[in-house]
Amino acid sequence: MRKLIAISSGILLLALSLAWWMNSRQPQPVELMPILTGQPEYCVTCHSDLPEISASHPVETFGCVSCHGGERLALDADLAHSTMRGGANPSDLSVAEISCGGSSCHTGSEADDRDHIQRVMTSVQSTYAGAIANIRYTFGAQTDLTAHQGINAITDERTQTGITALEIFNPTLESNPMIQKFGEECFTCHINAVPREGESYTRQTGCAACHSTEQHQLTTAISYTQCNTCHNRGNYDLRTMTFVERTDHLTNRLEEYYQPIAQFTQCEYTLDCVDCHTRSEVMGDGDLHSNQKDIQYVQCKTCHGTLTELPLTKTLTDPNDIAFRMAFLKPVVDLKLGDTILVTEQGEPLWNTRVLPDGTYEMIGKATKQKFNFRPVMGTACEQKPNEQESHFCHECHAVER
Amino acid sequence: MTDLSRRDFLKLTRDGFLYLSGALAFGGLLRFLSHETNSARKTEFDLGFVDKYPLGSRASISEIPALLIHTDSGFTALSLTCTHLGCTLKPNETGFACPCHNSSFDAEGKVTHGPAVKPLKALRIEITDEGNLKVFTA
Repeated sequence: MRKLIAISSGILLLALSLAWWMNSRQPQPVELMPILTGQPEYCVTCHSDLPEISASHPVETFGCVSCHGGERLALDADLAHSTMRGGANPSDLSVAEISCGGSSCHTGSEADDRDHIQRVMTSVQSTYAGAIANIRYTFGAQTDLTAHQGINAITDERTQTGITALEIFNPTLESNPMIQKFGEECFTCHINAVPREGESYTRQTGCAACHSTEQHQLTTAISYTQCNTCHNRGNYDLRTMTFVERTDHLTNRLEEYYQPIAQFTQCEYTLDCVDCHTRSEVMGDGDLHSNQKDIQYVQCKTCHGTLTELPLTKTLTDPNDIAFRMAFLKPVVDLKLGDTILVTEQGEPLWNTRVLPDGTYEMIGKATKQKFNFRPVMGTACEQKPNEQESHFCHECHAVER
Repeated sequence: MTDLSRRDFLKLTRDGFLYLSGALAFGGLLRFLSHETNSARKTEFDLGFVDKYPLGSRASISEIPALLIHTDSGFTALSLTCTHLGCTLKPNETGFACPCHNSSFDAEGKVTHGPAVKPLKALRIEITDEGNLKVFTA
């Protein structure tokens, strides 16, 4: 019996010594007390080398946990990371509402233009509704091209488009094998999809699919290269219902980048996509739409006007104009009250443009900060017909030879 | 040298192990109990002798952060924490601006530009019997 007690006490001592030793190997916690939460967190003990995620989200104010979740006081990596939202990406759409939402953050109201998450959730980039509707229509599963299904079931109670809801698209319920295969092969493009393998496709999901161009960085200065992690990467072959990847090496944006059959003007291969395409087009306008064409509306004439009409402009008189907010996030122009900028047909500000005193215009690249001067069509020798104002008519004369 | 019996050796070993285990466990318990997991945010700041802040001065106290203003009416302290999400405000020509989301406030702390909707907080000030200024954030 004594021997048993001695052995047991030895085992107890060994176990306690081991626990002490393991504990002493833990790093000394480095505490961060974010202003927003007022609760200490130890994440920076290991993650002090990460760059500030953005000027709008300083770590001293937000900390890590308010966005990422996780066990704020754990020093063991597995435990600390065990309850993180969305793994390393809290902006994945499955958790974005919790991570990025809130009335003071990105679930604000439509009126104050801070309903970012609602916009994205209903946008065609998330619902993939256009592709689904087209394929189901093509193969006889629905009788019109109106979207009825999306990647996820979603409702839009304040619809402006007449589409009040999308049911979830379930390819296993489809009788046509081509639609089934579409569901299996063609779901890597919507912004919450896990991208295809390969460096060219590398992006995150959710908000970060567009806004995170480098590790632990959020930006609104989105280069075309980020858009191209989804766009212009190849073609869907409808005969085999597979995605055919491009095989060329993308070294020259004009010659090698775009689809060979498409036509492009200088703007389209010089500017970044976000220089012209608006937040409403890219992130959605809060309504459900049937396809990309319903939401994408900026044309050449938006900036250049037509033979008979100058492009729309607006003089900034309200300090709360959204143009100032957007310029604040991407400070490439020193926008001031009294400046006159171009606006789109839907009234969205092209805040990185300015009307110059000589009647020409200036645009500053949001990502490149490059300055471009351009002029209106009015007063030129353009032979554009009044009823042919869409961009593809402009391409007939202004496309660059390749 | 006294011969140690097998029984005494086992007893000595057992006692030694138990004492050491007890010490380790007690040390661990002390460490656990003394660990401050929720070190409370400081809410009281001693700014030193009042003479450091002459009449007409506007001193930025980065530790809080706050702006201490000394006028004919006395001392006032304005929090420089943005009422939107808590970023630290920077002074500008007309008042203060938030570097995070562009809220701005006039020199009195009233909102002049959102997204913030609440004015800046006026902080409580006390002058101690020794003549020191104390600012309280809560």
